[in-house]
Amino acid sequence: MTDDKDVLRDVWFGRIPTCFTLYQDEITEREAEPYYLLLPRISYLTLVTDKVKKHFQKVMRQEEVSEIWFEYEGTPLKWHYPIGLLFDLHASNTALPWSITVHFKNFPEKDLLHCHSKDVIEAHFMACIKEADALKHKSQVINEMQKKDHKQLWMGLQNDKFEQFWAINRKLMEYPAEDNGFRYIPFRIYQATTERPFIQKLFRPIASGGQLHTLGDLLKDVCPSAIAPEDGEQKTQVMIHGIEPMLETPIQWLSEHMSYPDNFLHISIIPRPTD
Amino acid sequence: CSMAGEEDFFLEEKRFKQHCEEFVKHSQQIGDGWEWRTSKDLGDGYLSKTHFQVRNRHIPPDLKEKTNDNIEQTLLAHVEESLDDSQVAAVCTTDEVIRYEYHVLYSSSYQVPVLYFRACFLDGRPLTLEEIWRSVHACYQDRLQEGPWDTITQQEHPILGQPFFVLHPCRTKEFVSAVVTGPWKHNRHKNYIILWLSTVGPVVGLSLPLSYAKVAPEQNS
Repeated sequence: MTDDKDVLRDVWFGRIPTCFTLYQDEITEREAEPYYLLLPRISYLTLVTDKVKKHFQKVMRQEEVSEIWFEYEGTPLKWHYPIGLLFDLHASNTALPWSITVHFKNFPEKDLLHCHSKDVIEAHFMACIKEADALKHKSQVINEMQKKDHKQLWMGLQNDKFEQFWAINRKLMEYPAEDNGFRYIPFRIYQATTERPFIQKLFRPIASGGQLHTLGDLLKDVCPSAIAPEDGEQKTQVMIHGIEPMLETPIQWLSEHMSYPDNFLHISIIPRPTD
Repeated sequence: CSMAGEEDFFLEEKRFKQHCEEFVKHSQQIGDGWEWRTSKDLGDGYLSKTHFQVRNRHIPPDLKEKTNDNIEQTLLAHVEESLDDSQVAAVCTTDEVIRYEYHVLYSSSYQVPVLYFRACFLDGRPLTLEEIWRSVHACYQDRLQEGPWDTITQQEHPILGQPFFVLHPCRTKEFVSAVVTGPWKHNRHKNYIILWLSTVGPVVGLSLPLSYAKVAPEQNS
C-alpha cells in the first residue's frame, strides 16, 4: 500500500515534456530552432522558462523583443495558472510533447496578466496561499508564520526543493484535533468552454453528521453538469494532476495530498475522448 | 492580513446582495451611474460603474522637480460621464482622458466585498501597474510603498476572466476598521457597501457623493 507521503512526491515531481516553437511572424536574424523542456506541473510558465527566452532572443534583434507570452493552438496561456492545470485543461488528450508557441510581440492585454518580474509571480503565489488559508483556518496558520517562513514556501517552489517547501507547508495542512478537517476546502473547477474562468464556492469537507464529503459530493454541489446522470454515459473527465481520482475519494484527503503548492485543488472538467 | 475578530467585519453573501440592491437604488435616484450585473450561468453578480477622468499632462517645468504624485493629484478632476464626443476631443488635445471601470464583487474566501478596476486611455491603451500605483491618492502613498504587492495588483476577474486591478481584501479590513467605531454589530443597520466603498474607493480615484450617507437600510433580520 503506497504511503500517503509518496503521493506528495509524485505530485511535486510531475513533469510535462514540452516543445517551444517561436511564432512564425516574429522577426529573426536566423532560423529559430524549437526548444525542448520538461516543465514541472506544479510551477508557473514564467518561472521556469528563462532558458526558453534566452534561446529565442539569441536569434532576434533587441528591438523586436518585449514581454514574452505563450500560446497553445491560438489560446493565450495564462501564466498565473499552474502548468499542470493548463496542460490538463487544454491538451491532456493530445500527443506529447506539448507544443507551445512563443511570442514576443502584440501582448494580448485583454487576456493575460503582465509578468514583468519574478516579484509578480511571488506576489500571486503568496496571495493564493493566503486565500487558501483564509478558507482552511480563517488565516490563523499563515498569519502566525514569520516572513521567513513565507519566503521559504516561495524559495522551495522556485528552486524545486520538496523538503524545504513541505517543512513549512505541512503546517498549512494541519487542523485542530477536535475537527476532522479544514473549515472549507480551497478548490477551483475549470472548464475551457465557459466564459467564467473557474467556479469557486464555500464547501465544507465534513458533513453535519460527521461523514467525510467526497469529490463526487463536491461536484454534485458546485458543478452538477460534470457528473453524468445515473443511467447516462459520462461525457466528461474530472482531472487533477493528469489523473481521474475516484469520485468516492474524501475531499479532505484530496486537499491535503493533491493540492498544488498554492494549497488549492485545481480541478479540470474536460471532454472525454470518444475513441 | 488578519482574520482575528473577523466576526466583526465580515459580510454574508446574501447581505452583500441586499446592500448592493439598496446601493444601486440610491445611485439611480441621483444619477451616479452604478448598475448591478448578473452572471448568466451561476446567478451571482457584481456592481459596475464606468467614468472618465481627466489628467493634465502639461506640468510646468519647475513643478516637475517635485513628486509627480502630488501634482497629478491636484490636477486630477472628475468629469461627468455625459461628456459628448466633441467635448472629449477638445479635452484630449492637451490632456489625457482615462476611462475607469469599477466593479464590486463578493469574495467568499474573505467574506468581504472586493474592488476590481481597470483603466485605459481613449485609444485603448491600458494603464500599467506602475501608472496605477503612481495615481493612488497622495494620502495612501506611504501605505502603498510599504507593501505595493499586498495592496494593488493585477488579477484575473473571477467572472469575466479578464485582467483587472484589485485592491486586496486584506487591506480592506484595515481601512474599514479604522473608520467604523465600535464592533460591527453596532453598525449592522448601516449599508456595508456604502461604508466600505466610501473608505476604499478614494484610494483608487473613486468617490461617492455625500447623499449616500443618507441611505437608511430597511430593517432586516
